[in-house]
Amino acid sequence: MLMVLFPTVMLLPTIWLSPSTQLWTSALAYSVAIALISLSWLCFPMETGWSSVNTFIATDPLSTPLLVLTCWLLPLMILASQNHMAEEPINRQRTYISLLISLQIFLILAFGATEMIMFYIMFEATLIPTLIIITRWGNQTERLNAGVYFLFYTLAGSLPLLVALLLLQNSTGSLSFLTTQLFPPLQLHTEASKFWWAGCMLAFLVKMPLYGAHLWLPKAHVEAPIAGSMILAAVLLKLGGYGMMRIIIILDPLTKQLSYPFIILALWGVVMTGSICLRQTDLKSLIAYSSVSHMGLVAAGILIQTPWGFTGALILMIAHGLTSSALFCLANTNYERTHSRTMLLARGLQMVLPLLATWWFMFTLANLALPPLPNLMGELMIITSLFNWSNWTLLLTGAGTLITASYSLHMFLTTQRGPTTSPILAIEPTHTREHLLMTLHLLPLLLLIFKPTLIWGWAL
Amino acid sequence: MLRHRFPPLGGGTARPTDLIRRKSTGLPFPGQQSPSPDDRMLSRLSKFGLSLPRLGSVPPARFVSQSKQNSSAGSSAVTELHNREEKSEHGEVSQYVKNPDYHGFSSDPVADEWNMKVGFFMGISVALVIGGTFIHYLPDHGMRQWARREAERIICQREQQGLPLIEENYYDPSKIILPSSREE
Repeated sequence: MLMVLFPTVMLLPTIWLSPSTQLWTSALAYSVAIALISLSWLCFPMETGWSSVNTFIATDPLSTPLLVLTCWLLPLMILASQNHMAEEPINRQRTYISLLISLQIFLILAFGATEMIMFYIMFEATLIPTLIIITRWGNQTERLNAGVYFLFYTLAGSLPLLVALLLLQNSTGSLSFLTTQLFPPLQLHTEASKFWWAGCMLAFLVKMPLYGAHLWLPKAHVEAPIAGSMILAAVLLKLGGYGMMRIIIILDPLTKQLSYPFIILALWGVVMTGSICLRQTDLKSLIAYSSVSHMGLVAAGILIQTPWGFTGALILMIAHGLTSSALFCLANTNYERTHSRTMLLARGLQMVLPLLATWWFMFTLANLALPPLPNLMGELMIITSLFNWSNWTLLLTGAGTLITASYSLHMFLTTQRGPTTSPILAIEPTHTREHLLMTLHLLPLLLLIFKPTLIWGWAL
Repeated sequence: MLRHRFPPLGGGTARPTDLIRRKSTGLPFPGQQSPSPDDRMLSRLSKFGLSLPRLGSVPPARFVSQSKQNSSAGSSAVTELHNREEKSEHGEVSQYVKNPDYHGFSSDPVADEWNMKVGFFMGISVALVIGGTFIHYLPDHGMRQWARREAERIICQREQQGLPLIEENYYDPSKIILPSSREE
């Protein structure tokens, strides 16, 4: 664990002491080296579940895929930001990369935390660098509003979580993940216990986001610069899913009744946000709403609490992280050339940037859950376990799958096919850097087809 | 590299006295004040190649002071850290014009190519290939592959012996102790 954490912390002095010509190169090289070391977490020699155990941090098959995804994402964010940061003064570039690295440190500590209060503190700590990235380096005036929505939605959800965790510590004496899964069932018979249940879950439901509390997401994703969008879509949403999967183990048997409205809300959100995607004119907004749609399915899968539900949720989280981050990178390639996010402005790109069209095609197919990609496997497991719980959910999940396919194809056809608008004919060709970025998103996704046991967690 | 706007000289043209003043003080621009001791120390430190975070005490703009004592125009030019108008040409002229082999990393062709090589090597050859090999040779987690092989082996063995593949009873019926129907 420390094998990855110390190099990540030492990346901060590396960034500040590098000469300006080697800043981005060394940042990229060292963050890839850290990502390589992080793969060592995938070795689970013991059957106890928890490995790399330390007093404060440990890994288990649930947190390891998310940790590896976090570590893999840092070099990708550095690659993606290099161009639009090139015009800024060198110290501001260093500050930007430092914010990304500090996010990585907080995320590693969050996913690796063994104790719930530490997880809570790191969960909140990730808000600060993200807020700074959105409000300082976002490109439109709406970024301030976006930052406010992002910060206060998450804080409002997580303050009850703090109270709930303190109550839990008071009654059980321990908040360690290692022992809470072995607790005898808690005595949750009073009305107040229902509020306690809601307090535990609300923070994660807002973060995921659940459909009713999702308003912060389109704003934050759209207004953030590319690295902010990538880390938000790929990892920060999954903090909510991960937290929910950890805490739901001790919330039985209240969850059987109380999760009902949230499952319905999540499934309804899949359909509704998918429909909103069909009407979007802003490309980044479309991808943001598609994130809400996929995460709604993940939320429903977790609230079902079956082995297939958990497994499907985790697989979908990892696959969606890579896919959504890649789609934001593709949208950013459009934005860097046209300085507009309007889809209709940049149509017919297949004729102008044919190599990029290949990436658009691959990631559109991943988004609409094409077999044999893990996106489909996760969705299918969740849909199956929901059908097992109640046959009627098939109507909503089936409609959701259909609408997902529709808006993914709508996005692809609008941006890539059709007549080319005249301003587009003079845009800059694609850079090798952009192709490398796309490759590094796609190849892990393809490699995961061959070994899904890496990302299916501890349930199966 | 600090870029600074040139304040208008009094009268619009450089007078010979200004040039003489320039040579004597060693400062490049006429009307420039000599830097304070703090500025001099900081400029010396910056030569060591460290980028010291400036904690707000000495804003870099004051390195080159633009206010002149004998300026007829009363405007106090606010210096910026860098000149935005010159840098914004970056987006107008394609980088491919100067460097046909532009890879997207840097405007310096040597650094650009080096960064590309580092990115591809570390990203693909190191991370994906070596990492992928590591993952391929991970031990059999949860004994799944062993379980599959063992099941196939036992099926072959049972078929040869003519035994049923699996017994009807999960538990041995003789070991189950049932309460007699007479007891309550």
